[in-house]
Amino acid sequence: MQPRQRRSLEFVLDNLVWFMLLAVLAIFSATIPNYFQPGIFANIIEQSSVLGVMSIGLALVIIAGHMDLSVESVAALSAMATGILFASSGIGMGITFTPGWLVVPASLLAGMAVGAVIGALNGYLVIKVKMNAFIVTLSSFIWVRGLVVAISGGRSAQNLADEVRFLAIQRFLGIPLTAYIAILCFVGFSFMMAKTRFGRHLLMIGGNEAAAFRAGIKVDKVLMIAFILSGTIAALAGWLLAIRTSGATANLGTGMLFNAFAAVVIGGVSLKGGVGALPGVYAGVLLLSSINTAINLMGLPAHYTQVIHGLLVLAAVLLDTLKQTIRKRLA
Amino acid sequence: MSEPLLVLDNITKNYGAVEALRGVSFSIAKGEVIALLGDNGAGKSTLVKIISGGLEASSGKMSFEGRDFRPKSPSEAKAAGIETVYQDLSLCTNVDVVANFFMGRELTKKVMGINVLDEKRMEEQVAKAMATAGTRIPSLRAKVEHLSGGQRQAIELNRFVHWGGKLVLLDEPFAALGVEQTKRGLQMIRQVAAQGIGVVIITHIMQQAFQVADRMVVIRQGVVAGDVPTKQTNADAVIGMITGETLTGAGPVAGVGDSDPA
Repeated sequence: MQPRQRRSLEFVLDNLVWFMLLAVLAIFSATIPNYFQPGIFANIIEQSSVLGVMSIGLALVIIAGHMDLSVESVAALSAMATGILFASSGIGMGITFTPGWLVVPASLLAGMAVGAVIGALNGYLVIKVKMNAFIVTLSSFIWVRGLVVAISGGRSAQNLADEVRFLAIQRFLGIPLTAYIAILCFVGFSFMMAKTRFGRHLLMIGGNEAAAFRAGIKVDKVLMIAFILSGTIAALAGWLLAIRTSGATANLGTGMLFNAFAAVVIGGVSLKGGVGALPGVYAGVLLLSSINTAINLMGLPAHYTQVIHGLLVLAAVLLDTLKQTIRKRLA
Repeated sequence: MSEPLLVLDNITKNYGAVEALRGVSFSIAKGEVIALLGDNGAGKSTLVKIISGGLEASSGKMSFEGRDFRPKSPSEAKAAGIETVYQDLSLCTNVDVVANFFMGRELTKKVMGINVLDEKRMEEQVAKAMATAGTRIPSLRAKVEHLSGGQRQAIELNRFVHWGGKLVLLDEPFAALGVEQTKRGLQMIRQVAAQGIGVVIITHIMQQAFQVADRMVVIRQGVVAGDVPTKQTNADAVIGMITGETLTGAGPVAGVGDSDPA
């Protein structure tokens, strides 16, 4: 094979999910009436923001060869903390600041601190106590959600201050500011993974933890940071969710974990660890949103969404296997 | 070859009731190549891991360059100047050749106050190191999983030659190499030693040990069963020490030695 042909084939393989996204958008635009319009695309990007941010944290931990099932519950707890502290009705305490905009950093910090603590606890149990990450984070998934229900008493907090709501309402080029926060996160963390020592170490630990340890990489420290990051990023997703819904309910975000998983896998991250990049994950999230939007527009019952997501994950894993085979032939 | 680089004094290692090492003592000088020999389960790999910081000794003392030495992690041993090549390859197959070469020691440059990986400079250095060693790898940007076993081992060997340090531990380094590459690997070891770096090589192949080592240290059942200069012994005697036919502490073989034409 010619080197140029080979390079272009590798490029297609590396960015397959983006091509899939383009293909899906093209097909939907051609076949579904009213799909092809800026408002729809803006809506897809808007819908992707919370799920997208959550998927970043999950992807980081999976790339490092571990697992974090707690992201959904952590997001819910962060949202509930924001709601209880800063919403003015329901169970909200309605804390206010002068000047009023201080509520933005205050609520963000409160939410992310909650996420960082749970991430650190997960990390401690996995790395120091050497428990299985799947079990540890499954347990967090359950008890953190339980905590959300317990502290809220099953009720909800509504009406966040306008200064925070501003982020969800104010649009730039038809897209709300919250979506830009998500995009900024993807750009920042993609840069971290591709260009910094920390990202490189995370990738290598996912590939061969023993080799990384022998090479003098402080594996425990890097993994601990990954778990804390995952929790903190999930909390950021929860904060965005609270802003979008202007408060929090006890069952906020239920089911997002599996969508995040689907996005990560579709985006080309291997559950074995060591494989995958964040831009692909964003494409995976956009792909899921595009399909959701299509289902809505076609007026199909929402129940089909789940069936399609499930099949999509299967297809993604199949595709991953196929890619591996092609790559082996290339080498 | 006079100044001792690393001195092991009565090193033991227990796994519960199992004694893997029962008091190992020997020393290695700068620029010296030692072949560490012994049957399967004699404790060679355990010993290498203790020196390289992968395991901690249960008791005993080590000194490195005259100072007390007790590495708690591979990064500590590395910082002191000890490089290790393990028998099961220590490469991350999911990243490229350059990333593996610089694993844990990536070069960075400042871009707007952030330390960013300096891929260009790393690639140049790897290309240079590979060319010097005569290793040909089609693309330094190829992921290691796409390379052959021999190419992978060549990366590891080139890596230790490049980083050098003060002491190199090689645990069965030629297991996946062909005849020609093994020959080149042995030459590399002599080159490294000529720079004043101490080398400990574990091998099962007597011929390799005799080709490259200045001294043979035989471990049997967790103790040193023999410690002799290569020139004063022969393969039969060493095999005798490994299997235990010769008494513990066996010395030079009569008749072999100064008159040896080698």
